[in-house]
Amino acid sequence: MRGRKRMLEELDRDIRQHIERETQDNIDRGMSPDEAHYAALRKFGNIARVREDTRGIWRFVLLEQLWQDALYAVRMLRKSPGFAVVVVLTLALGIGANTAIFSVVQGVVLAPLRYKQPDRLVMVYESNPRFPRVWISYLNFRDWQRTAHSFEQMSVFNLDKGFDLTSPGAPEHLEGKEISAGFFKILGVPLALGREFTADEDQQGGAPAAVISDRLWRNRFEARKDLLGQAITMNGVDYTIVGVTPAEFVFEGRADVYTPMGQSDPQYLNYRAAHQLSCIARLKDGVSISQAQAEMEGVQKNLDGLYPENRDLGITIWPLKQDLIGDSSGLLFVLLGAVGLVLLIACANVANLLLARSAVRAREFAVRSALGASRARIIRQLLTESILLAPLGGGLGLALAAGGLKPLLRLLPPDLPRAQEIGLNIPVLAFALVVAVGVGILFGLAPALKSSKSDLQSALKEGGRAAAGGRQRVQSALVIGQMALTLVLLAGAGLLLRTIHSLGRVDPGFDAQHIIAFRVGVSHSLTKTVPATRAAYQQLIERIRNVPGIQAADFVNAVPMTGESAIMPFWIGSNKPESLQAAPRIMGLMTGPDYLRTMGIPLLRGRFITAEDTTSSPCVMVVDSLFVHKYLPDSNPIGQTLSVGFATMGPCTIVGVVGHAKHWGLDEPGVYAMGQAYLPLAQDPDQWVQINYAGLSVVIRTSLDSAAIMPSIKNAVYGAGSDQPVYRVETMPQLISESMSTQRFPLVLLGAFAAVALLLASIGIYGLISYSLTQRVREIGIRMALGAARKDIFQMIVGQGLRLALIGLVTGAVGALALARLLSSFSSLLYGVGANDPLTFVAVAIALAVVAVTACCIPARRATRVDPLVSLRYE
Amino acid sequence: MSTKDEKERTELLQGTLDMLILRTLVLGPAHGHAIAKAIEFSSNDVLQVEQGSLYPALHRLIKRKWITAQEGTSENNRRAKFYRLTPAGRRQLAAETSKWDRFAGAIARVLRPAEQESGS
Repeated sequence: MRGRKRMLEELDRDIRQHIERETQDNIDRGMSPDEAHYAALRKFGNIARVREDTRGIWRFVLLEQLWQDALYAVRMLRKSPGFAVVVVLTLALGIGANTAIFSVVQGVVLAPLRYKQPDRLVMVYESNPRFPRVWISYLNFRDWQRTAHSFEQMSVFNLDKGFDLTSPGAPEHLEGKEISAGFFKILGVPLALGREFTADEDQQGGAPAAVISDRLWRNRFEARKDLLGQAITMNGVDYTIVGVTPAEFVFEGRADVYTPMGQSDPQYLNYRAAHQLSCIARLKDGVSISQAQAEMEGVQKNLDGLYPENRDLGITIWPLKQDLIGDSSGLLFVLLGAVGLVLLIACANVANLLLARSAVRAREFAVRSALGASRARIIRQLLTESILLAPLGGGLGLALAAGGLKPLLRLLPPDLPRAQEIGLNIPVLAFALVVAVGVGILFGLAPALKSSKSDLQSALKEGGRAAAGGRQRVQSALVIGQMALTLVLLAGAGLLLRTIHSLGRVDPGFDAQHIIAFRVGVSHSLTKTVPATRAAYQQLIERIRNVPGIQAADFVNAVPMTGESAIMPFWIGSNKPESLQAAPRIMGLMTGPDYLRTMGIPLLRGRFITAEDTTSSPCVMVVDSLFVHKYLPDSNPIGQTLSVGFATMGPCTIVGVVGHAKHWGLDEPGVYAMGQAYLPLAQDPDQWVQINYAGLSVVIRTSLDSAAIMPSIKNAVYGAGSDQPVYRVETMPQLISESMSTQRFPLVLLGAFAAVALLLASIGIYGLISYSLTQRVREIGIRMALGAARKDIFQMIVGQGLRLALIGLVTGAVGALALARLLSSFSSLLYGVGANDPLTFVAVAIALAVVAVTACCIPARRATRVDPLVSLRYE
Repeated sequence: MSTKDEKERTELLQGTLDMLILRTLVLGPAHGHAIAKAIEFSSNDVLQVEQGSLYPALHRLIKRKWITAQEGTSENNRRAKFYRLTPAGRRQLAAETSKWDRFAGAIARVLRPAEQESGS
């Protein structure tokens, strides 16, 4: 810096000498000394600019100017700390919210899957005329493996296989998967220890082998390296541990144990019509999804000819990422857009603050440009101030995002995929940085351009009042924009609020209070034969019924609101459809006589299942009102026969009609609104008993709460065998509440965004009105001196605010309608409220107008206290 | 000065000013005011520099190492800064001059083709 200073001094001396010489020349030509001096100055030009330009040539000048600007900016901000704090907080709010939402979008949608070459991974589904993607059957999969050439490798797995671990350690229920050989290789995930299954293990009679999770390895085996080859007893079988998955490995839900698919129940594997499995495959290099699709359609067509149960089955090849993300990406992007609007509103506020400040500083800029600062230099100075504020806001925003991410994650719908990949990682930090800098330029540029343009002479003369008119137009436009954007967010939140409200009033068709559902892992020593299994389950439910405080209890194969289902084709009477794949579907609920009472579902006609309905009595079924309404509207259903399933049960006589119990949530959109049939558990055919019973849940009705009753239930269950874990305990109100998370998540976020927007917008309009009043003090004084009543002044000022708000509302209505249309395009998001719901729109518009007027009242009240005498002297 | 003179004066292009400075310094080191005077004098006052703009140009040339600045003693015994042409500056001037000559010649041929023909 010392070198700099000397260079400057030398330049000044050079210039001084130059002018002296020129003056001397002029005197020599006969001018008077004064005249000569001024002529020399004129000839030399603007000295300050010459100095500035020369310094501009010096290499470090740019950096130095930046440093100067930054120092100057810091000085300016320290002089007005209130301004700086408001700006930084506003920005922190906007940037923090954006960063948090972006981190969700990044983790769920944008980040590549954490597998090797994830874009080559696909899911292979079957399809039927009713559903584009259905689970696949094992035998079909084996045929594909033999004949398809599009894939490097294919592997089949089930999503949800329970294992009751009994040794080593205390009994525990584990979630697991059965997988076929090659599963980890396809994903490209190397195991932390050991290996995955060989083809020899992946077949009937193979040596029982298991891959366990990192968690299980640490909890049960103290992370010992020598656990490979040790035994783990699950479902009554000793499995040899052959591998351990890496700690961070997750694929379609948590799993603690993996066993070979080929060793699964042969009854189930060898039944071609059982569609229960998922298939993952890695495409060969150079093979596109559509090529694979075309090849597989051919393969499937051949199978169609060979096996009648394959009739009408097609193929859908589906990118893995799309499969995992589902339709959550659209909604997330809408939320990201919404939070972007909040940021825009915040920027508008900050821009308005800067504009108001730059009006005050107009004289300063005029002086600077008179002293030789170029326009670019002033813009740069102002931008430096903005960009200095932005990282402060950004840093604080990042802290807010970091703190807010945890509550946000708790808010996420439980079915949101890849939630574990959400975090403040490098892309998120980069996003925050880009947003912060971009925002700094965005809110800084407009005021900078505006004030650097102000007319020098009048600015110097009038102390900055000259440019006020134009500046206020920009400010008004910004406030109108804020109002419009706030309306959009309010309308979105309003529609979702109405949706939750309508859902809350929906009758689920059963009495949800006092219902608890759970599962029991019945000891494998008790289920070795079919009669023993039936007896063990019968004994279990009776023990539970005898627990004091239990009003009713029974088994069911698919608990409502959990997402569990048993969808099957059906036909009435003897009209068996030619193609079961194309036949209409019904929910086949397998249960016992006490289910209706447990759930509080009304019996409408005939009778429900009784204890007398057993394998030795005629087969019966009970249907629900929705089924009757859809398929037997004009005849008496009682006495007609019904057949269900690929492994057909029936024809069974319909003996009763009950009310429809909502199964998929309080809204049952489109394809999910299907009729229900209740099948007596006791009439389940022998060959399916062991498979079907293992998937049963218990539902109980009790007036006690879950924490009070569950210990006694566990005692009762353990009484029948201490190796029987009780798990997945959930109360029905809790399940119903979770089923609304699809709506609640966007509601809470949009609601929060709208609240912040409302706050910012009211600050914005308050600020503008207050500012315009400082400019109009003299005018108000004159009006009052001329006889205007305080009421008139008040009305004039509030009217000014209201006009802005109304223009904003009209502009925003278009955007609000567009957002509403967008929200209603997501399946099952809006319920019980139309996208153009007039009530919502009118309500939010009134709310916004009221808030705006209230915000204007404060400065308006102040204006009415203006003393005309003081105001006329004001300057 | 008359208004007519004013009109005939041409604003100097930046590169031209650089060239004129180099040309002036061929005759020997000079301080800023002398350079300005020399440029005005040698172009018969047609090319008039707003004298201040000389200084950014001088510093630009220093940065390009075509001239150097040295402290010296002026005619009336005062310390002043003298600018001196470097060998690189001399080469640059030669290159610029021949380029300028070619350019000026081309313009002349375009503007006065007939004269050229009749002269040959």
